[in-house]
Amino acid sequence: MSARLSLIAVAGAAAGAAALWLAAHSSYDRPTEPGVALTFVVGASLFISGLLSWRQRPDNRLGPVMVCTGFAWFASLLIEVQTGWLYTVGEAVQYVYVAGFIYILLSFPAGRLQTTLNRCLVMAALVLGVGFELAAMLFGDRRGLRCTGCPHNVIRSFADNERALKILDLQRILGGALAFTVICLVVLRWFRASRPERRAAAPVLLAGSIALLALIGTIVNDETGNPFDRAPAEIFFYSFALVPLAVLLVFLQRRLARGGVAGLVVELGEPTAPAGLREALARALNDPSLELAFWIPAESRYVDPDGLPVVLPGAERERSSTVVERDGQPIAALVHDPALDHDAELVRSVCAAAALALENERLHAELRAQLAELQASRARLVEATDAERRRIERDLHDGTQQRLVSIAMSLGLLESKLPAGAADAPALVRETREALALALAELRDLTQGIHPTLLAERGLPAALDELCRRAALPVQLELKLDHRLPDQVESAAYFFTSEALTNAAKHSHAGSVRVRASIDMPVLTIEVADDGIGGAGTGGGSGLRGLTDRIEALGGRMTVSSPPGRGTTLRAEIPCA
Amino acid sequence: MRVVVADDAVILREGLARLLQEAGFDVVGLAADADELLELVESAEPDVAIVDIRMPPTHTDEGLRAAQEIRRRRPATGILVLSQHVHPRYALELLRSGTDGIGYLLKERVSDLAELSSSIERIGQRGSVLDPAVVGQLVDKRRPSNDPLEQLTAREREVLALMAEGRSNRAIGERLYVTEHTIEKHVKNIFATLRLPPSPDDHRRVLAVVAYLNAQ
Repeated sequence: MSARLSLIAVAGAAAGAAALWLAAHSSYDRPTEPGVALTFVVGASLFISGLLSWRQRPDNRLGPVMVCTGFAWFASLLIEVQTGWLYTVGEAVQYVYVAGFIYILLSFPAGRLQTTLNRCLVMAALVLGVGFELAAMLFGDRRGLRCTGCPHNVIRSFADNERALKILDLQRILGGALAFTVICLVVLRWFRASRPERRAAAPVLLAGSIALLALIGTIVNDETGNPFDRAPAEIFFYSFALVPLAVLLVFLQRRLARGGVAGLVVELGEPTAPAGLREALARALNDPSLELAFWIPAESRYVDPDGLPVVLPGAERERSSTVVERDGQPIAALVHDPALDHDAELVRSVCAAAALALENERLHAELRAQLAELQASRARLVEATDAERRRIERDLHDGTQQRLVSIAMSLGLLESKLPAGAADAPALVRETREALALALAELRDLTQGIHPTLLAERGLPAALDELCRRAALPVQLELKLDHRLPDQVESAAYFFTSEALTNAAKHSHAGSVRVRASIDMPVLTIEVADDGIGGAGTGGGSGLRGLTDRIEALGGRMTVSSPPGRGTTLRAEIPCA
Repeated sequence: MRVVVADDAVILREGLARLLQEAGFDVVGLAADADELLELVESAEPDVAIVDIRMPPTHTDEGLRAAQEIRRRRPATGILVLSQHVHPRYALELLRSGTDGIGYLLKERVSDLAELSSSIERIGQRGSVLDPAVVGQLVDKRRPSNDPLEQLTAREREVLALMAEGRSNRAIGERLYVTEHTIEKHVKNIFATLRLPPSPDDHRRVLAVVAYLNAQ
């Protein structure tokens, strides 16, 4: 590689030396001639930038294109040769470098012409520069080619200078239109570009546009008898010389950006939050819009740092993404500005440097996703339990309870039909009837314990009110609830109060209990405080443990405060969102 | 006495009808849900409608709402709501539309035919019936052991008894040959003695009646 580049450098130097000699010995004075200094500046700019870019980015075609344009630039100096056939070659290829220039401008920074329009414009530049020139040379010589001091054109076939001049006029008009079209495309691209893209392309596009404007200026100057003398041509040559340097500058900047990866490695050595990791990567890549997505292998999908699913951008060019792999497995993806696609190497080095930190973050994100799933699954379990309780209550009501009531009615009927002197029978029937009433009362308590119908039908305040009225201890109830809450929240609050009242009656030796329920959106707080002996353990009964699970499944928490001799306070906080 | 029975369970509807016929009531119609019941009350013009609280379609408190609707359309019809659960709140909601000719009993009370008959008859005669289990929950547990009803004057007890029959202050005044204003004073004294603080949806009248019925 470097041997080939050295060979090209030597060839370029030789061609340059020859061109400079020719420029120094120019025998005629046209306003479009670059002169020794500009020949050197433009040629050196193209060769040096081209070779360095070539070495820096072997995969990018811009380096070779700039070098070729440099050769074409030197070749255009052949026009100064006094030998007929060499002059003729020089005359024919004198505008090839302009096509190279347009190629550089349109293909920057990828080095490839990406649309058909771009390819057509470069082809058109070649046709105008070489094709039209050859056509004019078939008819014209010296004056007909606007070069009275030049040697004779060896390929002239028809002596018709007027026609040759007309062809050259057309060539210049079309050339101006072509330059104008390219300027339009450059401006359009500027407006469509994202911020990082603009920052990268600005020097190249600016110098290129000025050069094209100056090129149009030279054509106008030429067609109107050179009122501006050499000014437009000199502006063109200088700004043209800036374009390869600007390209090189961008490539070198990216090399510097890769130097920033070292800073990233140091930064990632420190403990960071996911936001910190994103910021560090965004800084290293110079893309504030950067987003992170983590790969969850179990679900074969990407999630954001909060554990929510993310879809990577597809083929559309709004956003672009790069997958970070470790041991052949994807661990994360960077969703970034498409401008970074032109600098795959930087993205690769950043990914390599951040792979470990990203893997770490990925595990965190996976854990968060699993926790979210676990929480959802607990909530579903509670919901399923509630549905099951509802079903059992309904079955008991429609089945067993009704049958028992029906039996009770039959007994009542039987009792009324017993003959007056039936010995023990009436007493026996009454006993049976009373036992049945007891069974029904117990069944009623059981079904209300399984699923309090009043809670579903009249809401938490009514159900708590009734619960407190039924309680074994006198209860003072303070409610600050003004609207219905989600079913699971009401159920959890109800069963919590019920269990707490039962515990107070069983273990606390309390004289009375105070129940307070209030809502401070979005949290429902219920407190059951007795004036008993205190000293209750946090372990509580199995009923309380189950309630803690139920409340925690809803994202709430339960606390017990029970200092000896100062009563027991159970407190539940349940989010209602 | 003409009665209708509304219950979505056939076994209970038919059983109750048989039981009531046996007890000498004239069962003039049966209904399986609230809509049927409302039509039946319009067409059969019963003295008392016996209504299961839990009926289709939602199986929650249809019977209660049907009772309130009957009260609105045909206030002369007595209503006995039967429930498998003790919900004092439902009893209060029912009594809020008037305490005369209203009853709320647990379903299992149907096993005592004599008691059931007398309850229906009381409702038919514009009295109120409340299940002892419901009253037990409504009456304050922290009430001192000496019953405040004992502290009422004879005249106040007389007024309270007429309130329990569902009479308005004016009707009570006409009955006792005093002005409505005097009755209002008595009622205020009754509330104070029974320690019934003013409440926004004035339950006091109902609670006073409940206390009275509880002591009976």
